[in-house]
Amino acid sequence: MELFSEIYSCYYQVLRHLLCSQTALTIEEIRKEVCRDGFGESLLSIIPKLESGAWDLFEREGELYVSKIKQDFLTPLSSLEKSYLKALLSDPRIGLFLNEGQLKTLGQMLGSVTPLWQPGQFYYYDQFTDGDPYTDGTYRQIFRTLLAAQKRSLYVDIDYNSPAGNRVHHYYVPARLEYSVKNDKFRLLALKHAKDGQMRLEILNLARIQDAKLTERPLEAQVGLNALIKNSYYKEPLTLRIVNRRNALERAMLHFANYEKNTRKIDENTYECFIYYNQAMETELLIEVLSFGPMLTVVGNERFLRSLKARLQKQMGLL
Amino acid sequence: MSDFQELIKSFPKTREYIRDFFVYGFKTRQEFTEKSPRTYDNERRRLESWLAPYIQKDHVPNGTNISLAIDSSLLDTNPLFRVWKTKSFTDNDIMLHFLILGLLQDGQPRTAEEITDSLLSGYEALFDIQTVRRKCNAYSKEGLLTKQKSGKTVVFSLDSTLALWLSDNENAMDALAFYQMAGNFGIIGNEILELLGGSNQSFRVKHSFFVHTLEDEILLPLLEAMNQKQQVQLAIKSSKRHMENTACCIPLQIFVSSRSGRRFLCGYVERSKRFTCFRLDTIKRVALTGPYERYEELQAKLEKNRSRLWGVSFQGPERRHLDTLTMTLQVHEPSETYIVERLKREGRGGTVTRIAENTYQYQRESFDCNEMLPWVRTFTGRILSLECTSKLVEQRFYQDLQAMYRIYQLEGNETDGTFF
Repeated sequence: MELFSEIYSCYYQVLRHLLCSQTALTIEEIRKEVCRDGFGESLLSIIPKLESGAWDLFEREGELYVSKIKQDFLTPLSSLEKSYLKALLSDPRIGLFLNEGQLKTLGQMLGSVTPLWQPGQFYYYDQFTDGDPYTDGTYRQIFRTLLAAQKRSLYVDIDYNSPAGNRVHHYYVPARLEYSVKNDKFRLLALKHAKDGQMRLEILNLARIQDAKLTERPLEAQVGLNALIKNSYYKEPLTLRIVNRRNALERAMLHFANYEKNTRKIDENTYECFIYYNQAMETELLIEVLSFGPMLTVVGNERFLRSLKARLQKQMGLL
Repeated sequence: MSDFQELIKSFPKTREYIRDFFVYGFKTRQEFTEKSPRTYDNERRRLESWLAPYIQKDHVPNGTNISLAIDSSLLDTNPLFRVWKTKSFTDNDIMLHFLILGLLQDGQPRTAEEITDSLLSGYEALFDIQTVRRKCNAYSKEGLLTKQKSGKTVVFSLDSTLALWLSDNENAMDALAFYQMAGNFGIIGNEILELLGGSNQSFRVKHSFFVHTLEDEILLPLLEAMNQKQQVQLAIKSSKRHMENTACCIPLQIFVSSRSGRRFLCGYVERSKRFTCFRLDTIKRVALTGPYERYEELQAKLEKNRSRLWGVSFQGPERRHLDTLTMTLQVHEPSETYIVERLKREGRGGTVTRIAENTYQYQRESFDCNEMLPWVRTFTGRILSLECTSKLVEQRFYQDLQAMYRIYQLEGNETDGTFF
């Protein structure tokens, strides 16, 4: 079983899309499709092969390319893919998606397949221990309601227990379900009408949602989630200075890999890294920076530097 | 660069380049000294082609820095999955792929001879029978085709039931959309999803470390060895010294850090009679070297040892067997009890005791308490004392704290940890 195989190649995928096209295609339409689905320079390789007939998969009718393959062409799954699916059946989160009947059917179809891995073969040594209750019936029901609402951009009536202990009741449109590997929890990125009439992004812990009722009311206008998230970032990024001792550079680059960041070299052994973040990420980022000790130096922004110094100042007073 | 090809034959070399670009995106042409400038140019051009939407270019005095601008909280998939879809192939490969699979869509079994004839009559494609048989055998090995023997005749057929069931089942497609972002071998989930015309528009993953998908080719034979209870020989390249050496071990478990995404093989090294963890990104090749008789025994031993492990190190800086770290914290009650929750949730089984009003003590035994320090530092601002039976660990904690006071020019008394 090969992971790096031409059967999973991007070019095969591009060709499959072209070959399953409902209509005959002009070379211009093919070019557009290759640009959309292929890599940056795929056009230079694929088009000559089609024009020369080296990939003789189309009949030529004048200027048109007609697929030799039927439109309902379906690539069967490979052993590797089946083995992967079989492994998913043992994951506790699979029950959030598939019901008992579906799990049974899939299990039967994969009857003789060996799972690619067993859950016990992976050990997440630093994962928090209070993960979400994936097998709880109410939790599953809420998860499915939110997912259904997210896919259709519908409002949901949510009853929520906030971390501060308040019971909150609001209408939200689920934008995304966000999973954290570290916390082993789902959070709901939800859109809510602010008082100024604008849509605001709120984050709710799924396990704190007591009830979620689907409404038939759709979101009136499209909201750009990424623009909302990006707009929430502070204008001034966190600026870290990293002296490359004790492998600090590689460690920092990998540790902060999940943030939008930019790094530049200052001199032979010193680097500067800019990390973009928002208020919701601030505390987590602060303790992540603290965990590196003196291997990283915060040089900006002022707000972050103040918080860091306040913690250190407080620490000085304790010891 | 007339010989430039967008696709590649082998993955390992590219894996190194991508990882370097991802981690040290700021290296310029002059700074890449390991290979020739020509190789650098070709690899860079490929990388720019594969990952165009995520490439960021900055002009600096000695050239252009290119880096990958990836904000995992804004993405619906892992951009580095594209790197897995770059395997080169021949004209025959792609022709036979679509023509054979196209022909067999009806589910009817056919011999290689019948397939060859049908390719000519149905598609006007002339192939010799050996080529067709070789491809059919290869696809049967990959699981795309079923190979059956009926008497002396070998027939090949195609079964799309599973693919059809998945594509018609919205819940299954949702599951794939999720697992391609959040689970092991996300690349496989992503390939199935794309194959069936799906995409992820519903899920995001916080703390997602995309670069580690590059190690999946190493993970695959390791799991195979674990499933078959086999020993392995590893070719390892040290990330610090860039030297390659080999190690033999019995692979037992994959350790994963949810905070950095790093993955390690935990194996038993017979030569040193020790459990050892190898970072997957330093393993270059894996060879299975035969079954190991007492596999379950080792698994049980590891399970027993794991409770005394903090991370991945089975030995501390002073080569002692076991050390104990004790941290006392100030927690204002009741407003800061979330700190107590953090100790319980993140403390990996350590004991948490309320020893006085607003004062809690956390204690845990560990093979290597040095590994605990990054986590301990996250409580900076609340630590009343830190003691460790490994004095080196204790000293390092206080020295690092002093270093931080100096960096941020904070005034105060020097403490060296010997005051209590």
